[in-house]
Amino acid sequence: METATAAHTDHHADVHGHEEHHHEETFLTKYIFSQDHKMISKQFLITGIFWGIVGGLLSVLFRLQLGWPNETFPFLESFLGKWAEGGKISQEFYYALVTMHGTILVFFVLTGGLSGTFANLLIPYQVGSRDMASPFINMLSYWFFLGAGVVMFFSFFIQTGPASGGWTAYPPINGLRDTAVNLGSGLGFDLWILGMTLFIVSALLGGLNYIATVLNMRTKGMNMFRLPLTIWALMFTAVIGVLSFPALLAGCVLLEFDRLLDTSFYLNNIIINGNLLGYKGGSPILFQHLFWFLGHPEVYIIILPAMGLVSEVLATHSRKPIFGYKAMVFSILAILVLSFIVWAHHMFVTGLNPNLGAIFTLFTLLIAIPSAIKVFNWIGTVWRGKVRLSSANLFAIGFVSMFISGGLTGIILGNSAIDIQLHDTMFVVAHFHIVMGVSAFFGMFAGVYNWFPRLYGRYMNETLGLIHFYITLIGAYAIFFPMHFMTGLPRRYYTYANFETFNNFNFLAEFISVAAIIVFLGQVLFVVNFFYSIFKGRKVEVEKTVDGHDYGNPWGTTTLEWTSPIERLHGNWPGDIPPVHRWPYDYSVNGREYIPQTEPLKPGEVPHE
Amino acid sequence: MNVTLSEQDILKEKTEYTGVHPQKFALWIAMASMTMFFAALTSALLVKKGDYRSWEGFTLPTVFLFSTFAVIGVSVFIHAALVSYRKSKFAQFRWYMFFSFLLGCLFLLLQLKGWSVLQAGGMTLTENLSGSFLYVITAAHGVHIVVGLLVMLVFIINAFKNRKDPIYELRDIINPKRQLHLELLVSFWHYIDAVWVYLYVFFFLNYR
Repeated sequence: METATAAHTDHHADVHGHEEHHHEETFLTKYIFSQDHKMISKQFLITGIFWGIVGGLLSVLFRLQLGWPNETFPFLESFLGKWAEGGKISQEFYYALVTMHGTILVFFVLTGGLSGTFANLLIPYQVGSRDMASPFINMLSYWFFLGAGVVMFFSFFIQTGPASGGWTAYPPINGLRDTAVNLGSGLGFDLWILGMTLFIVSALLGGLNYIATVLNMRTKGMNMFRLPLTIWALMFTAVIGVLSFPALLAGCVLLEFDRLLDTSFYLNNIIINGNLLGYKGGSPILFQHLFWFLGHPEVYIIILPAMGLVSEVLATHSRKPIFGYKAMVFSILAILVLSFIVWAHHMFVTGLNPNLGAIFTLFTLLIAIPSAIKVFNWIGTVWRGKVRLSSANLFAIGFVSMFISGGLTGIILGNSAIDIQLHDTMFVVAHFHIVMGVSAFFGMFAGVYNWFPRLYGRYMNETLGLIHFYITLIGAYAIFFPMHFMTGLPRRYYTYANFETFNNFNFLAEFISVAAIIVFLGQVLFVVNFFYSIFKGRKVEVEKTVDGHDYGNPWGTTTLEWTSPIERLHGNWPGDIPPVHRWPYDYSVNGREYIPQTEPLKPGEVPHE
Repeated sequence: MNVTLSEQDILKEKTEYTGVHPQKFALWIAMASMTMFFAALTSALLVKKGDYRSWEGFTLPTVFLFSTFAVIGVSVFIHAALVSYRKSKFAQFRWYMFFSFLLGCLFLLLQLKGWSVLQAGGMTLTENLSGSFLYVITAAHGVHIVVGLLVMLVFIINAFKNRKDPIYELRDIINPKRQLHLELLVSFWHYIDAVWVYLYVFFFLNYR
């Protein structure tokens, strides 16, 4: 090991010494098998956008059924064939739509697409590192993600259709391979398990890289409390993922054994058409424990990166230091710890011991504390700032709005006594879509609009961005707010026609469906804007040119990513990595609009920390 | 600027914060992750043992004790291999690697033997939940062993293929990347060996 260190130190002495190691990039190594964190970030983002479109489209399809259960849509038959005979979505396909919508958006868009994109982009840039701890494993992480996606997508085109037993994959329905029981429980669900396994491997490979990079590869002077909140959030997200995804993998392994090799981990005394099957002793509740041991932390895997991005965007675009930096960090830490001990609040109606339920209620409600601290700090950050109403900042503000609206119903649902009434109703759907789905999307959009110049050296179109924001904000509330008032309406039902009492929700259902279609079309604006701007967007203004490299700083940001040239440079900085002298939120201090982290303290200047 | 840095340039000397190489640190995190995987499986076993009234206990076949010895042997030999590598004794290194590979294969064979002993005793995969858990957990652990063996095989093939080439051996000494990768492999083996020892003790206590 000593020789290793010696050899390395020699290298470090001469920054231009590594010129001799350079080799030309081919198309294949630059765009396809890239080990560069920025390119991998783009790969994750574009794959995520693809999945976002697919996942959103699926929801539009099932909203057609829910909004107009008695109508037929002949054009659907030409697209979906036997899944929509006569223009009406079949019952089997409806469940497949709901299942795959959940799977795709939770895992492929808001986990892979969100964490994958921004952890890859921001961690090396903002901690001041040339790349990830292991660029090769980072590349594998993307390829496993893509492979998982290919498998999932493929399952749409098999005869029995994709998985249709719910994104939570509960046995016993998913424990049997019998397509007579449930069409999607055949090959479709095997592919679901395979896809999820690949996805878990991808998340783990990515996560361990993110953590190792943040803890080991920071530039000089970048102590932990000089890290931007994005990095704290992304790192804790990775910690949650690395510790909780294995539980889901274990759950899936046991499930696949039940399906393929007839073990009875989750199955007990199943009777099909009067025949008693040979399974004995299993318990479907065991799966729920394993699933929700991931499943609950998973919602924090989704929301924490969004929180980090929003913190950064709000401070930058309000030209104010983040309010309560350390409170933010410790809130994320508190959320991390609590996220592991609340999973059974998804299982209040499984016959859980009520005393145990009370404990889980307590921990669940405790999460309100760090969440409220964060909300308070975001508002404190924007308060009396020089707020720019750019699309990035609007989405960040929209995030805070959504997070509050969704969080309030969380307090209601977290109580086991109330949850038992509301379990599996539209109220729950409204809650988690607002607090986790839409919020995370808002955080993601804020991030994309804000860091698009870093990714492509160009801006996204601001006008389209604003239209996109207002459609999404108003539309998302229009979709999910009415759901709170559909009292007692069970979720996941194909039709409510047999329930007289639910007839008065017909108008609301139709209204929600119209809003969903409009919001989906609104996202087309984003996609068009995104791809148009890659090639034709307004270029980032060049502030200075040093040694043939152009530098800019479009939003006036303090963090390290804009000390790197505008062009994509493998290794991020042409010379030495700049050292860091101050915390990342010196906005509007000392009579300056912003002071970059790389600027040394003036004599007599007191550092923030 | 169509140039790229080699991986080594990117990673240079970044051990100042934790004192370990970032990739080794990443492996430790992976170990934490794998620990959660086996913890999930074994706690599932405990839960089912607690709530399933027809849980059938059985005697753990003695073969599994021998496989425990085999796996400890792998750890001893692969560590010896690492020590010889650091001392640039490549001939020793090759043989120690080879022996640990053999012991690793022996471990897998003994695990299979353990399965067949169980089956002969009537405890098949689907006979009772108690047995099912044993098969699944040992299989999941076995997959990790197979991965470890495959990587070990790559090292051995490289080491034996170039054993006549003094330049190669010289390059080995000064190539910190190769030494790092060897250290990662050794750590991984120590880890999965320790997991098996844990699993053995766990099974021993739970199947009495």
